[in-house]
Amino acid sequence: MRVTVLSPERSLYDGDADAVVAPAYDGQVGILPRHAPFLTVLGEGTLTVQHGAGATQFRVAGGFLQVVTDVIRVVADAAEPLPGA
Amino acid sequence: MAKTRELRRRIKSVQSTRQITKTMEMVATSKLKRAQDRVVGARPYATALAEVIGSLYAPEFAERFPLLRQPAPDAARRVALLLITSNRGLCGGFNANLIREARRRLQELEGQAATVELHLVGRKGISFFKFSHRTIASQRIDIGDKPTAAHAAELVAPLMARFATGELDAVEIVFAKFNSAMSTPPTTLRILPVDPPADRWSGGQAVNYILKPSAEAILEQLLPLYVRNQVFRALVETAAAEHGARRTAMKNATDSAGDILDILRRTYNRARQAQITQELAEIVGGAEALRG
Repeated sequence: MRVTVLSPERSLYDGDADAVVAPAYDGQVGILPRHAPFLTVLGEGTLTVQHGAGATQFRVAGGFLQVVTDVIRVVADAAEPLPGA
Repeated sequence: MAKTRELRRRIKSVQSTRQITKTMEMVATSKLKRAQDRVVGARPYATALAEVIGSLYAPEFAERFPLLRQPAPDAARRVALLLITSNRGLCGGFNANLIREARRRLQELEGQAATVELHLVGRKGISFFKFSHRTIASQRIDIGDKPTAAHAAELVAPLMARFATGELDAVEIVFAKFNSAMSTPPTTLRILPVDPPADRWSGGQAVNYILKPSAEAILEQLLPLYVRNQVFRALVETAAAEHGARRTAMKNATDSAGDILDILRRTYNRARQAQITQELAEIVGGAEALRG
C-alpha cells in the first residue's frame, strides 16, 4: 500500500509501506493492507511507517489520517521526522 | 579636460551600481528557487485538506459551525483585512500593487458601510498606512521570507476566535498569488466565513468511510486547519512573489545600467579623441608659428 505523510510545509514521506501505526485522537491505530476506507482525527504522538527495509518514524500532532483503497494519507498539522529507527 | 574627468566619474558610479543590482538579481534568483520549492511543497497538504473537507461537508452543517456562519445581510458588518507585504523594497511595483489592491478592497467594503480593521504584515504595508494615518489593528514585521505554519497560526488564531464569537463578520486576506515567477497578481481572498471547497475528489460517488469520531467532529477539527492553511499559503506565495518581483526589477536595472554605460563610454571616447586632436592641432600650430 502507498503512504504519504504531509505537513503544511512539505511532503515528508511518499512511498510503499507494509503497515502504519498512527496516533489517533483516542489511541493508536494500526493500518494493514486492504483496510476499509477510514478517516480519523490524529492526536499527538509517534507515527510509524513499516516498510520492507525497516521503519520510518515521525512525530505528528493534529490533522487527520485517511485510508482509501490502500492509499493512506497522513495529513498532520505539525510533523517532523524522528531521527534513527 | 573637465568633461572627460566628469564622464570617467559617472562611468565608475554606474559600473558599481550595476555590480550591486546584478548581485541582487542573482541573490533573488536563488531565493526565488527555494521559495518556489516551498510553494510547491505546501501544495499536497492543502489539496488533501481541501479534498477531505469537501467530501465531508454537507450544507446542513453550515449552521452548526461558527466558522461557517454567514453574516446577517442587513447588519453593519465588521471586517478584518489582512494585508501581506514584504519587509524590503527594491522589488519594482510589488508592494505598491498589493497596497493598491488593499485600498481598493478597503474602499469597496467601506462603501458597503462595513467597518474595516487593518492587520498588516510587512514593513512596506505598515509604513504606507501609517503615512496615510489609518488606525492599524495589528502589525508585524518578523515573518520575513521564510514563513512557517506557526506564523500563520499566530496570525489567524485571534481572528478566528473573534469571528467565532461574532465580533467579526468576515476576514479577508490580500496577498500576491504566485501563478509563476512572471505572474503574481495581487489577490483578495475571503478566509472567513469558510467557503467549503467543492467535492471533486470522490468524483461524485461518496466513499463510505468509517469515520472516527464522526463527520461533524472531524470537520470541527479540520476547519481551523483549513483556515490556517489558507493564510500559510498566502504567506508562502507572497514570499515567492516578492523574490520574483525583485529578480525582474534588478534584471531591468542591470540591463539599463549596461545601456547607460554604453552611451557614457561612447561619449567619453569621443571627448578623449577630440581632446587629442585638439592638442595635436595646437602643437602643429605652435611649431608653424616658431618656424615662421
